[in-house]
Amino acid sequence: MAYEILIVDDEPALQRMVGEILAQAGYRTRSASTCTQALEQVKAAPPDGVLLDIMLPDGDGFSLLGKLRAVRDFPVLFLSARDEDEARLRGLGLGADDYITKPFLPQELLLRLGAVLRRVYREEPSAPWLGDTRIDWGKGTLRRQGEEIPLTAKEYALLKKLWEARGNIVTVDALCSALWEGPLVGYDNTLMVHIRRLREKLEADPSHPRYLLTVRGLGYRLKQEDKP
Amino acid sequence: MKLRSLWKGILLVTLSAFLIFFITAAGCFAFGCYVSDWGRGWSAPVDQISSTLTRGEEDYIFTGDDLLGDRWAMLLNQEGRVVWSRNKPEELPEEYTLQDVVSFTRWYLEDYPVLCWTREDGVLVVGSPKGSVWKHDVNMEMSYLLKMPYWFLGIFLLALVGVLGLARVTLGRWFRQEQQVRDAARSGWINGVSHDIRTPLSVVMGYAAQMEQSPALPPEEKHRASAIRTQSQMIRDLVNDLNLTMRLDCDMQALRKESLQPEVFLRQIAADFLNGGMGDGYDLEMHLPQTPLPRLWGDPFLLRRAVNNLLTNCVRHNPDGCTICLGAKEEKGRLVLWVEGGTVKKAQSPEPSQPLDQEGEPAHGTGLRLVAQIAAAHGGKAEFRPGPPYRCILRLPFAKK
Repeated sequence: MAYEILIVDDEPALQRMVGEILAQAGYRTRSASTCTQALEQVKAAPPDGVLLDIMLPDGDGFSLLGKLRAVRDFPVLFLSARDEDEARLRGLGLGADDYITKPFLPQELLLRLGAVLRRVYREEPSAPWLGDTRIDWGKGTLRRQGEEIPLTAKEYALLKKLWEARGNIVTVDALCSALWEGPLVGYDNTLMVHIRRLREKLEADPSHPRYLLTVRGLGYRLKQEDKP
Repeated sequence: MKLRSLWKGILLVTLSAFLIFFITAAGCFAFGCYVSDWGRGWSAPVDQISSTLTRGEEDYIFTGDDLLGDRWAMLLNQEGRVVWSRNKPEELPEEYTLQDVVSFTRWYLEDYPVLCWTREDGVLVVGSPKGSVWKHDVNMEMSYLLKMPYWFLGIFLLALVGVLGLARVTLGRWFRQEQQVRDAARSGWINGVSHDIRTPLSVVMGYAAQMEQSPALPPEEKHRASAIRTQSQMIRDLVNDLNLTMRLDCDMQALRKESLQPEVFLRQIAADFLNGGMGDGYDLEMHLPQTPLPRLWGDPFLLRRAVNNLLTNCVRHNPDGCTICLGAKEEKGRLVLWVEGGTVKKAQSPEPSQPLDQEGEPAHGTGLRLVAQIAAAHGGKAEFRPGPPYRCILRLPFAKK
């Protein structure tokens, strides 16, 4: 599904550049240069998400956020040149889904926008593929070569955490927090046991893992591979 | 601005000196009045009046009417009887006992303030109109009188300290106000410039990154686009560092400290560094102790920035790749956090208070200076050793238990 994103920024060059980046990534875009225009567009047809600048000619993004949200509760990401803590905290405190400081790399914008949209619209497939293994989140099982392998609650939570950050390193501390809601202290060996068991279910050769990789001294990474 | 401050300072010191002088002079005056008999000479000297009263063959001859003025006078003989008088009020008796004499010499005679002068033939009493003079008998023990210089010195020093303290507070406030105005102007300027540069830089970085990935461009063009993107990122980092260093310089950056577990914190920074693609082509090794370190009380945003700056520094100075070590340990009750890797051509240790920009020179090493500032803001210290390997060490205090 192609999400429609409203870009609210008073700088035409930036509007065009962001529009092109989003269009190339498969999004549909609209633009507004003022608070009034943005509000009119949202009232006419609410978008799926908004990229919102703070300093606009006829007002500020903080006030506009509330007005936009009054129309419909869609995800809003601030895209601002203001990098002070106060502005960032205020924006997030008002309920924005993310705060991106200019200048930014296109990839960063796409990743953060994508993460927000995935979270809000829950577009995750209920049974994604990891190599030749299918993860069925609904059933809490893995399916490989016709065989259904059940996951324990800890293995499920572990895999979910790694899947959400797939391609990126997840520290042992973050995994422990996800599993036991606490820091690593005292859980490192237990975590390794869970990782080993998960590998036995996930990998064809657990001694030479292909998907669930160890990043020495830091944590683990779930290598993302496309559906076969 | 400096000349104005100088004038203000001179004015304040001059006023202070005058104040000290007046307080001291007032103290001297009060003391003098208290201990001396200066107040008794409130009229023409009685001895002069006495000298104008002489004994004639039959009666007394008085030639000092001018000296007497509106006062009156009488001469008492050895028995206390009035033998001569001039303008003496009618209600006053003609004869006085010894007690009467003792009393009025110290205080008043029927409310008339009087002065006395002993003569061979008696006592000359000169009186002034009622209510015209205040009389007070003054006496003081010698021991107290001898202590007076010390009291006087004490009061003087107290006044001096008070005035100088007041001057310091006032001057300090003036200078602080001026400093704040200067800081606000400087910070506002940098903020404005950095704000204005961010949007165009976004466009430059965005298009350069797109060109880098465009299949339509030949490799040389992609390489050029990559260089534009990398240099733009460097400008972005410089702008960010300049902004933050300015805020720390001007005490405009509020520290949001919280309790941090150093190992957890450093692992997350390292993971984010690698996840962000900054560490591609570099080996990142973690050197953390087996036993948990004590907790750290710090601003995670600033400390993350400091460690990121150190990691980025290693990457920038070693474009061909190297092994970067990020470690932490406890040493002498402090957290020692280090980043080590590769070589850096010019590794100076900037002081947190070092001016951002020397006259006529560009602002080099802003990133490292920011690291030093962040360490100082946490009560710690930063050291930079050129190596090889290049090593940056942050020494930070642990959280108080």
